[in-house]
Amino acid sequence: MAALPAMRPLGCLRSLSLSNPSSTVDSFSTAYSKRPERVPLPPNMPEQFLSQIPLRFRPDPDREPLKIYPAPPSARKACKDPVGAITESQLAVLDPTGERKAMFDYRRNPRSVKTGDIVRVTFKNGDPFNGIVMSIKLRGIETSFLMRNELTRVAVEMSVKVFSPNVNSVEIVQRSEKKRRRARLYFLRDKKHDRRSVENIVASYVRQKKAFLGGGNRRR
Amino acid sequence: MIQLKTLLNCIDNSGASIVECVNVLKKKRPATIGDRIVVVVQKQRSAGSEATTAAALASKVRRGDIRHAVVVRVKKELQRPDGSLVRFGDNACVLVNKSGDPIGTRMNGVVGQELRNKKWSKILSLAPIHV
Amino acid sequence: MSPRLGGLLQLSPVWGAPLITPRIPVRSFGIRSLNPPKPSRFNIGPGLPVLESTSTAALRRKANSLPLRTGAIGIKKGMTAIYDPESGKRIPCTVLQLDRVEVISHKTRERHGYYAVQVGAGWKHPNNVPKSMLGHFSVNGVSPKRHIFEFRVKDEAGLIPVGQSIEAGWFQEGQFVDARSNTKGKGFAGVMKRHGFGGQDRSHGVSLTHRSMGSSGPGQGGGSRVYPGKKMAGNMGNTQNTVQNLKILKVDSENGIVVVSGAVSGPKGCVVRIQDAIKKPWPEVPQAEATEPATA
Repeated sequence: MAALPAMRPLGCLRSLSLSNPSSTVDSFSTAYSKRPERVPLPPNMPEQFLSQIPLRFRPDPDREPLKIYPAPPSARKACKDPVGAITESQLAVLDPTGERKAMFDYRRNPRSVKTGDIVRVTFKNGDPFNGIVMSIKLRGIETSFLMRNELTRVAVEMSVKVFSPNVNSVEIVQRSEKKRRRARLYFLRDKKHDRRSVENIVASYVRQKKAFLGGGNRRR
Repeated sequence: MIQLKTLLNCIDNSGASIVECVNVLKKKRPATIGDRIVVVVQKQRSAGSEATTAAALASKVRRGDIRHAVVVRVKKELQRPDGSLVRFGDNACVLVNKSGDPIGTRMNGVVGQELRNKKWSKILSLAPIHV
Repeated sequence: MSPRLGGLLQLSPVWGAPLITPRIPVRSFGIRSLNPPKPSRFNIGPGLPVLESTSTAALRRKANSLPLRTGAIGIKKGMTAIYDPESGKRIPCTVLQLDRVEVISHKTRERHGYYAVQVGAGWKHPNNVPKSMLGHFSVNGVSPKRHIFEFRVKDEAGLIPVGQSIEAGWFQEGQFVDARSNTKGKGFAGVMKRHGFGGQDRSHGVSLTHRSMGSSGPGQGGGSRVYPGKKMAGNMGNTQNTVQNLKILKVDSENGIVVVSGAVSGPKGCVVRIQDAIKKPWPEVPQAEATEPATA
């Protein structure tokens, strides 16, 4: 169609005049359609036709389908969390009664050790250590707590693993006077908030305890 | 973490009060408790009310002396075999002579237990407490 | 010039040839031996010592450093710690899980030139396995495996039967293993991170090149080229790494758990190949245990 040069800008409207819905609209469908069945080769095909088919499509009466063997029982399904299983088995040995776990599970147990408490830890080998609890880290078998004290005017901090077999006992000497608003009392390191030595408090506690236990022994 | 230029407290009665590390011996890394270092005495301990001359006589080292020392406390936390950590409030050392005997006769202050594993039992026996 | 001319004349007996195709001398590069080795026609035979550069000699050299038995494929599940109840010592450890580890096939000296056990682990849906691999699994009578690796063994005594499953009990508590896995990928890393270069000054006139590598080699004196193997920026990590002599701390055959001391390269969930440590004495495997699965 040869249009006049002046009419050329109107060429874009030509498509409107040509519009024929049945031929221009292409439709696509994403609906699931079943895979077509394979059409079997006609029986008794002459040899010259067979030889034109690729080798893999040629009928072979001797070929068997691949046998797929079933998988053996899975260890992965049997134990979904191996690290947890190892932790459980460790805890069963190190803390059979669950006493230690409860003693430091400050989120669930209201009677547990809390930050700000003064505790006394005794070890299997070595001297006991006293201090004010600055933080408790609940990490399964790695659960630990950080104590701070002052010995001979030198600040000493010690972090102890709760489930370590080296730890003999943990005693709460004194509860913190007021409720702490923080989970970790790292501000105790500042000069302003430093509680200094807790040795005197612990010493009086040990004296009281000794007197109490001594009395109990006499009664027996 | 004791390395070149670290200032340490000297906690024995040898007469030095503050010393500066100039070398870490037998190690390519910063020194920790039980390691031997070379120090320069920066500050002598003043005897307070006593006469300064008497204090100078009592002190076995003078300012500017180069001595060997053993680190007994560090600020950097140390891990023990059972997983526990220990951290002190300051860095401190004890002066020793070339053969490894402490120069001072008394010590004031807590020291780390790691000294036992590193065969510094003489220093441990002088210390009032060890943690 | 005259000898070359003479040679040229000698090499072209046909006078017409050089006129049609001009002779281009073949240049050779690289280092060449002045007296290259000449293999003798008569230095081969059954009674003679094994030549150093043959596969037989290579196998003989490796005989002492090849494990006697195959290893296993594990999945790294994470790290934790184990306490020694007697000494109270805390040992950091890695937890590995063996999942459906089975022997798929063998590599033999006769067919492949060396002895190895091909081992597979996990399971893969058959639809996602290429047909060639499906055929391989099908012929050997094992289910399709997700991870397949070879473990070299010293001789045919280490070739345990195809289809035998390797449980966690294959390893004994207290023995040592080597753990081989891919390290964590760090992506394209600069020289400071990748090779520990010092970088350049923050100031003193340095602009925009504080973490770059600087010079890549000498100039005219050094040949005006960058030597092969020059450390440069590039992809870091995701390369195979072997951690040797890890002690087996715990074995749980029911759940397929093997706990080894220390760290193993790679992220959680990565594939770890563990085999008897080559730098420790071979573990003493009870004969009954070794032969029992073979018959079963």
